[in-house]
Amino acid sequence: MQSNRLGWILLAPTLAILFFFGVLPFIYVVYVSFHQWNPFAADPTMIFNGADNFRKIVFDAEFLNSVGVTVLFVLFAVISELVVGYILAQAFMKEFPGKAIFRTIHTLPLIMAPIIVGSVWKLMMTPSIGIIPHYLNEWFGITVNIGTSPVAAFATIIIMDIWHWTPLVTLTLIAALVSLPPDPFEQAQIDGANKRQIFFHITVPMIAPAVVATVFIRLMDALRTVDEVWMLTGGGPGSATRFVGVHIFKEVFPKTNYGYGSTISVIVLYLTIVACWLLYVTMLAPRSKKD
Amino acid sequence: MAQVKIDNVIKRYGSLQVMHGVNVDINDGEFVVLVGPSGCGKSTLLRMLAGLEEISDGTISIGERVVNDVPPKERDIAMVFQSYALYPHKTVYDNIGFPLKMAKRPQDEIDRKVTGAADILDLTKYLKRYPKELSGGQRQRVAMGRAIVRDPQVFLFDEPLSNLDAKLRVTMRVEIKELHQRLGTTIVYVTHDQIEAMTMADKIVVMRDGRVEQIGAPLDLYDNPANIFVAGFIGSPSMNFVHGQIVNEGGVRQFRSDNGLMLPLPDTSAPDGTKVTYGIRPEHITIADHGVPLRVVVVEPTGSETQVFAKHGTDFIDAMVKDRFKAAPNSEVRFAIDPANVHLFDRETEQRL
Repeated sequence: MQSNRLGWILLAPTLAILFFFGVLPFIYVVYVSFHQWNPFAADPTMIFNGADNFRKIVFDAEFLNSVGVTVLFVLFAVISELVVGYILAQAFMKEFPGKAIFRTIHTLPLIMAPIIVGSVWKLMMTPSIGIIPHYLNEWFGITVNIGTSPVAAFATIIIMDIWHWTPLVTLTLIAALVSLPPDPFEQAQIDGANKRQIFFHITVPMIAPAVVATVFIRLMDALRTVDEVWMLTGGGPGSATRFVGVHIFKEVFPKTNYGYGSTISVIVLYLTIVACWLLYVTMLAPRSKKD
Repeated sequence: MAQVKIDNVIKRYGSLQVMHGVNVDINDGEFVVLVGPSGCGKSTLLRMLAGLEEISDGTISIGERVVNDVPPKERDIAMVFQSYALYPHKTVYDNIGFPLKMAKRPQDEIDRKVTGAADILDLTKYLKRYPKELSGGQRQRVAMGRAIVRDPQVFLFDEPLSNLDAKLRVTMRVEIKELHQRLGTTIVYVTHDQIEAMTMADKIVVMRDGRVEQIGAPLDLYDNPANIFVAGFIGSPSMNFVHGQIVNEGGVRQFRSDNGLMLPLPDTSAPDGTKVTYGIRPEHITIADHGVPLRVVVVEPTGSETQVFAKHGTDFIDAMVKDRFKAAPNSEVRFAIDPANVHLFDRETEQRL
């Protein structure tokens, strides 16, 4: 009994913080999502409008488009980050000259704030002053303008996300690879497995928990990407890079549509939970029986 | 099945040489145990046999084929690791069947061989379980099952019993030996436990510091150890050693220790005054009135036998006697030694005289 009470006392600060900064705002957002509310209007009172906001979402072509764009972005970005991150992690498992310096440089993007990343990439991508369009044009004769080309804007955002977040994937995969016992790999060699078979039969299943955790983190991050995109393209051209995060931002801040913005947030949260649940069910749940 | 030839094998890590020209011939179907203290190079030698370590010099052949540059998967060997190295995400069935699956054998053959191996190893009930759901002994058997389904030319065992408790170790020892008798496949087995070596081997290779100290049948090594190291390593409890020299007192040649303890001498051509190390196994000492007087230090009854530790000055001798024996510390005890069981070693070279 004593230890139980002590446990609750020790947990209390965390629970309090979680309650005030996590649970309360969440409940408030859900509450607001059932209202029409513009706090900056002449009449800033909340008007309860039932499920109107939710009904509106279904017919909101911009929102539906933003979900599609976001899903595409998440798929491209997260899969590429996994592949590049794994290759880099394997490279860092070996010794090569300048490894320490390379690893440090490789990790630098992680410590940069997204808003800075967005503005730096905007500078690098702006036609006439940006280094990337300049050299693409000079070396390959390719003209790139993220202000006018939806494909270029979308691709740039994916590349920027890969540049920014692959180090996170690399670090978690290095941690997973380092902790693998060597014996099963030697055993697999003796058992007649070639490199490809060892990768698919031994390595992948053994690092799967780390991969899934990384995908969870990246998935949730990517679904709520706002600042980088806002800085780089502002969601354009047109709505080519108008991800759900950007869409919510636009609803809430320039349009001061707090009620509807909250509704979209709630729906996006729900979609995120569903995506994570699907991921869990397909990748981790069968394993939990084994462990 | 195949014979294995290890010919003048040398292993270097950079400038550090750890294996100094090892030669071992293993006959077809033989059970060979590599034994020695940790760091003696026995596991490295086994890993070189498996192809997991490169050889710096010399040759290793399996069958008629030199395998120096042959990758592990093409050596037709099976190995059981100390950690068992089971695949944690695969069931017992999939673990045992893995080598066959990699070799792309037909499913019915995999089925037949896996269930056959499971039957031999008493694992049939556990085929659907994961390694985490098994006891140490069962995991060990899964690792053996995975080895036997391959029907390899040579089995390699790297301290497979070290992680088991004492009782299970004895059971598994018997099982492995039985398995060898049944399959008749060549086995190379690494252990630091000389009892395992004595009980299982057809031939023991005693190693120290990357060198072979002696190769022979278990009882050969026990009866005729080549040097002090082998004499001390083989046999449990280990041999007593007393330093001294051969003296001739009144026409009777005897051994006199540095502390003046007089012990009976076997037939030897070594001249009087030769400095020797006197070796006698505890189980070859009896307690009798005509024996050498010593002072009791500790008496350890084990039930079937009694181990008596006694001393003379700084010379410690222990005896393992069949009879029950009680004595107070510091009381006198007389150890009778049959000279025929005594081993004499050169004090300088530590080689047997």
